[in-house]
Amino acid sequence: MQTIKLYEGQFHEWVVFGRDPEKNERIIDTNQFMIKTGREAILLDPGGIELFSSMLAAVVHFLPVDQITHLFASHQDPDVISSLGLWDKTLPNATLHAPWIWEGFLRHYGCEAITYNPIPDEGQTLKFDGLEIQFIPAHYMHSSGNFSVYDPVAKILFSGDIGAGLNQPEDSLFVEDFDKNISKIKTFHQRWMPSEHAKDMWIKRVRKLDIEMLCPQHGSIYKGEDVHRFLDWLESIEVGAGLRF
Amino acid sequence: MAVDFELRTTFFITAVAVSARLSAVLKEAKNISLEAMNAKALVARAGENVRTFKPITDYMVELASDTINLVEDINREALLISRSSLTALRGSEAVNHFNRAKIKSEGALYAHTYDHAYHEAEKDLQQFQLELIKNTRRLHELLEEIESRMLAANVVTSTSRLEAATVSTIYRANFEAIVGKFENAAKNIRSTVQECRKVLNVR
Repeated sequence: MQTIKLYEGQFHEWVVFGRDPEKNERIIDTNQFMIKTGREAILLDPGGIELFSSMLAAVVHFLPVDQITHLFASHQDPDVISSLGLWDKTLPNATLHAPWIWEGFLRHYGCEAITYNPIPDEGQTLKFDGLEIQFIPAHYMHSSGNFSVYDPVAKILFSGDIGAGLNQPEDSLFVEDFDKNISKIKTFHQRWMPSEHAKDMWIKRVRKLDIEMLCPQHGSIYKGEDVHRFLDWLESIEVGAGLRF
Repeated sequence: MAVDFELRTTFFITAVAVSARLSAVLKEAKNISLEAMNAKALVARAGENVRTFKPITDYMVELASDTINLVEDINREALLISRSSLTALRGSEAVNHFNRAKIKSEGALYAHTYDHAYHEAEKDLQQFQLELIKNTRRLHELLEEIESRMLAANVVTSTSRLEAATVSTIYRANFEAIVGKFENAAKNIRSTVQECRKVLNVR
């Protein structure tokens, strides 16, 4: 599994885990993120059950597992959090932060020991070990209960499925040519995102944020100017393509 | 692990399959109960002439009622087996995931930090497997119990035939028919139970 440090600040760092070469080729490729301070860490969209062993093996290169005190699930999809039952055995004292509307659903993956923190629709701030991150509403982008995560210090936005692409395992973890990247993300956004109104609200909300890196759960990470190019592009396309049928 | 093979062969489905087959046993037990009621009515009508039939009809009622209770116990046990084998299967998958992580994290600085979770998962699995063995043993015992009762029913059938031959010709045909149905129901129950035990033994 590729592991890249995205940000290293005075008190915390961001790490991305992705492009697992041992992944079954019939399951979608996913990016997992970790925000780590000196004493604690949060895993963002820790991934599907198929990826658990690779993820666990990857994180223990950075920290003892019991320092992972928080998990975050942007929404309920299996590629996002079906590993929950195994994390529940590994991190019984951790807290899962996830949309309130999915609590009863996510517990089907197995959540006996982990504490479930239901994020309210309007979003929430999480503080741990001196770090503060924000859960930004991204409802209907694509799930009806959905959040992005913003770190104002690192200026990184974890956007979940927004900005995601249907990439190949050999593709770079970063967007290298924005125009070429559009072919990877176009269908995904037109078909998976259901609502023009939701799209506009999310764009309006994140345009107010100072973002240097936009990190989706699939595909490649946008840096610098590509972040704004992506927001402009998203604004220009029509979503909800499934309604044509 | 002792019952790994059972987990691999989807034991939880087998337990449910056994339970489903037992609906046939329940039906036959109800038939025995009905025939016992018919026999009782007939005994009451025939009076002193057939008094030796009374303990036989009482036995038939008892046998039917015991069989129905046993089937209920078996169904409960099959449900427990189904649940515990699923739990064991999930536990076994968790251990496999940890095993894979162990190989992949070889040389990682903090690889040892999930050893506790790994050992707990192994302990849980052993516990689940012991539960499964216990439940399966109990299921075998219950099936055996029904089978041995049906063997006893064979003896009762033979006695009943002898008794039927001695009653007045007015009632003889009726008693013989009741004994025939009783014998048939007991035979069907035995054959279904043997089939169930065979299915379990394959595992």
